[in-house]
Amino acid sequence: MIALIVRRLVQLPLIVGVIYTLTLVLAWAVPGNPLENPEGRKPPESVMAAMKAQYNLDSFPKFYFSYLDSASGLRWARDTASGRAAEQAQAARDAGLVPRPRPIFDLGPSLKHRDERVAGILAGALPVSVSLGILAILIAVAVGVTAGVVGAVKPNSFADMATLIVALIGISLPSFVIGTLFVLVFGVWLALLPVGGWGTVSQMILPAVTLSLPFAAYIARLTRMGMIDTLNSDYVRTARAKGVAEREVLLRHALKNAFLPVLSYLGPATALAMTGSFVVERVFNVPGLGQHFVDAVQNKDLFLIIGVVLVFSTMLVLLNLAVDVLYRWVDPRIG
Amino acid sequence: MAILIGVIVSDRPLPRADLTFSNGTDITTLDLQRMSWTQDLRMARIIAEGLVANDVFDPEYRVIPAVAERWEISDDRREYRFFLREDAKWSNGTPVVAGDFVYAWRRAVLPDSAADYYTFFEYIDGVAAFFNWRNEALHEFAESTAEMSPTERAAQAQLLWEETERRFAEGVGIEIVSDRELVIRLARPIPFFLDLCAFPTFYPVYPPLVKQYEQLDPETGRIISEGGWTKPPQLVCNGPYEITVWRFKRDIRLEVNPHYWNKDSLNIRTISAPSIADPSAQVLAYQTGAVEYVADVTAPFRREMVALKNEYYREHAEELERLRELGLDPYEIDRRLPADPRQDVHVTPAFGTYFWNFNCMAKLPDGRENPLADSRVRRALAMMIDKRIITDEVRGLGEPVARTLIPPGSVGGYPTPEGLPCLSDCTTEEERRALINRSKALLAEAGYPDPTKMPTIELEFNKNSGHDLVAQSIAKNWQETLGLPIRLAQKELSVFRDDLKKHNFMTARAGWYGDYPDPLTFLEINRTGDGNNDRAFTNAVYDGLLDASYDEPDVAARAALLFEAERMLMEDEVPMVPIFHYCDVRMFDAHKLSGPNPHPRSTENIFLFDILGDGVGTDEVRSMPARSMGKGRGS
Repeated sequence: MIALIVRRLVQLPLIVGVIYTLTLVLAWAVPGNPLENPEGRKPPESVMAAMKAQYNLDSFPKFYFSYLDSASGLRWARDTASGRAAEQAQAARDAGLVPRPRPIFDLGPSLKHRDERVAGILAGALPVSVSLGILAILIAVAVGVTAGVVGAVKPNSFADMATLIVALIGISLPSFVIGTLFVLVFGVWLALLPVGGWGTVSQMILPAVTLSLPFAAYIARLTRMGMIDTLNSDYVRTARAKGVAEREVLLRHALKNAFLPVLSYLGPATALAMTGSFVVERVFNVPGLGQHFVDAVQNKDLFLIIGVVLVFSTMLVLLNLAVDVLYRWVDPRIG
Repeated sequence: MAILIGVIVSDRPLPRADLTFSNGTDITTLDLQRMSWTQDLRMARIIAEGLVANDVFDPEYRVIPAVAERWEISDDRREYRFFLREDAKWSNGTPVVAGDFVYAWRRAVLPDSAADYYTFFEYIDGVAAFFNWRNEALHEFAESTAEMSPTERAAQAQLLWEETERRFAEGVGIEIVSDRELVIRLARPIPFFLDLCAFPTFYPVYPPLVKQYEQLDPETGRIISEGGWTKPPQLVCNGPYEITVWRFKRDIRLEVNPHYWNKDSLNIRTISAPSIADPSAQVLAYQTGAVEYVADVTAPFRREMVALKNEYYREHAEELERLRELGLDPYEIDRRLPADPRQDVHVTPAFGTYFWNFNCMAKLPDGRENPLADSRVRRALAMMIDKRIITDEVRGLGEPVARTLIPPGSVGGYPTPEGLPCLSDCTTEEERRALINRSKALLAEAGYPDPTKMPTIELEFNKNSGHDLVAQSIAKNWQETLGLPIRLAQKELSVFRDDLKKHNFMTARAGWYGDYPDPLTFLEINRTGDGNNDRAFTNAVYDGLLDASYDEPDVAARAALLFEAERMLMEDEVPMVPIFHYCDVRMFDAHKLSGPNPHPRSTENIFLFDILGDGVGTDEVRSMPARSMGKGRGS
């Protein structure tokens, strides 16, 4: 197990490095000048050229290596070791100012939002997306597993059909429809919950539920199938024959095994919930990561594109690792 | 799970601010010298203060003291001497001095900064020459140092910078007499220089702070300036409020700057500007009480909201008429009418005009003859538009129909020419026929006795913002009244812009917002060779009138010169036909909020807002004094 974790963690920088190279090549090939403001005034040609030079946008290799230098933390280490960083901070304090923030992994400036650094943007948005994703998955597991068990106990009953229909709706209705509906019903008509924003628990409920629905539906179907399989297996019959209470049979014997497919689904699902919440973020005005993904590409904001991709890919690698570790822990036969 | 709990505990929301407003889109930058977007300027006015300000409750937007407590203007109107107040302080307590302004202005005029509003500074003596010299010098630097070693280059860059500082100090008409006295010498006398000084690009920055983010780039010899100093806790500012929290795409929170000299006049303690990207969500946020003011309503259903407001006005028609007779401003009128949610949307005339360009070149770039080169054709087409249909039916906001380029009443002391009539001015069928005949006669004079045989007239537009509908409406007018052959040409935005710059169109949609409170801000775009003269209009008499206005010291005589220029443009030459004057759409409850002003120049000083009846501040209504602006305008 330890060997697996170590191996994966060693692989991580290599994977991220390859993804960085691919992303940069693709993003570089996007036509258009990221510094150009489509609706503003155009600066003189020479100024534009100099601005490109400032961000190394005039040369691919120059950009490639300078970005790698600062994003990997090498520059931070150099500045710290040479004492230059401490000097600058002291100079700022002497002038009665607050020293500039110095992220270890400096992912560059945002080209569109000139006052922001990419590291700062991501640091603000990542916790939001992560907590929204986790909350949605928790809701999805609670709702999905319950519905799946109910359906499996009495297949083709009214309760089973009802959960099937709800699951179908959950999978097929896009979240911008459900989300907008929720805003209308709970936010405007009933005025129970705020229509948008982030910070209070009440503001988290609607987006988390909206985001959880397709996952809950899928988990419900997975649980139902797994439960029906295991309920027909020999060991369950044995348990029943021994006179174990039905509740005990369901939850302790059957569900434990029926849950395995759900567990393997949870890894990619969690990653998807954390990273793929763009639509939900828009509808509920949640300041998460997903919006930056889309906005950055639209604005050709090179640094932000790379930064978001790097964070997403790191998250995916780590989540997959977590699922593999969990899997071995639950089912030691897998090796 | 631990992360989740951690986030919920650590990310607790701040208590509700005294005023919460939606600032439209997210901030692009709060770097005062490099900004140009409305939402940035709106925020800049809250956190920074210039030498002077406009009194936004005065119908003329009169200039009042701010950091400068008084000023003197020389007899030749070219020298401005500002005296800074002693108690003007930065948010860290240090006094605001003349050098802070000079530092900021030098940033704006260095080509290194690529400041959007650089041209505003060209009115100052020596600025244009300095800008051009520095630009040239940077060019030469790149060429002459290409072979040098890095150390040599760095030394050269340093030398060039010292030379730049010297040239700025000696060649530009800005002089620091003392910490509290600043003298500006203009290249030519202009009557609106004080208004420019009230514009955020002219506000000061705190040099010790900004210097930390600037460095000399040995590669190019330029001053490279990084962003980031505009964010808390780094930011040091001199305005009424300071930013305490700025969470990107989330919110900006402001609190009173404890060192602001005039903080006793403020009526709110805290301001919050949550970032709400979706236009419909902004309205929803207002309707559910999450924000008290929406600065820019762009929701797709806003025309329905405006229709509801008109319905409300019809229900109170009598009282409304009485209040308008009093000459009250439209917000004050709403305040005196019974409160109603339908009332909260406000359509207010802005300092801009939507118009349709006519290409004035003799031949189009592809070699075709251009019938629009003849001003009689342009005049004929200009009259054959039903502008009222466009504002009321096509756009549905009911903007004021435009006969002139400059919105009437927006510039104090400037009379508005009559302009050409259009189809919607005709009240009877007879009048309409007469106008059509007048238009046909003009075409006949120009050599087109049968308009149906004219070359095809093209209308070019980009597809967003309903321009296609306006184009169709105009095309229908021209076809029905004159029987012109028409072609609609929809272009992608960048292609459209490119076509305009290359004069590669016959007629095209356009719009212009004034930058400074003077007729010239609209008239200069028609000068021969001006960068914004997409119409390729050229007329020596017109250019001469503009030139003469600069040298005319008498205010009334100058206004007469500019009036003649606009009259000529709108009645004789017609390089463009104005359709309507733009409007701002805002949302707030006039019974609960005081501070927004309905002036067409629409400077929103959010720091003057007051939530009425909240017990904070004076809770007294501030509105424009009664005057002529009520009738025929607004609503």
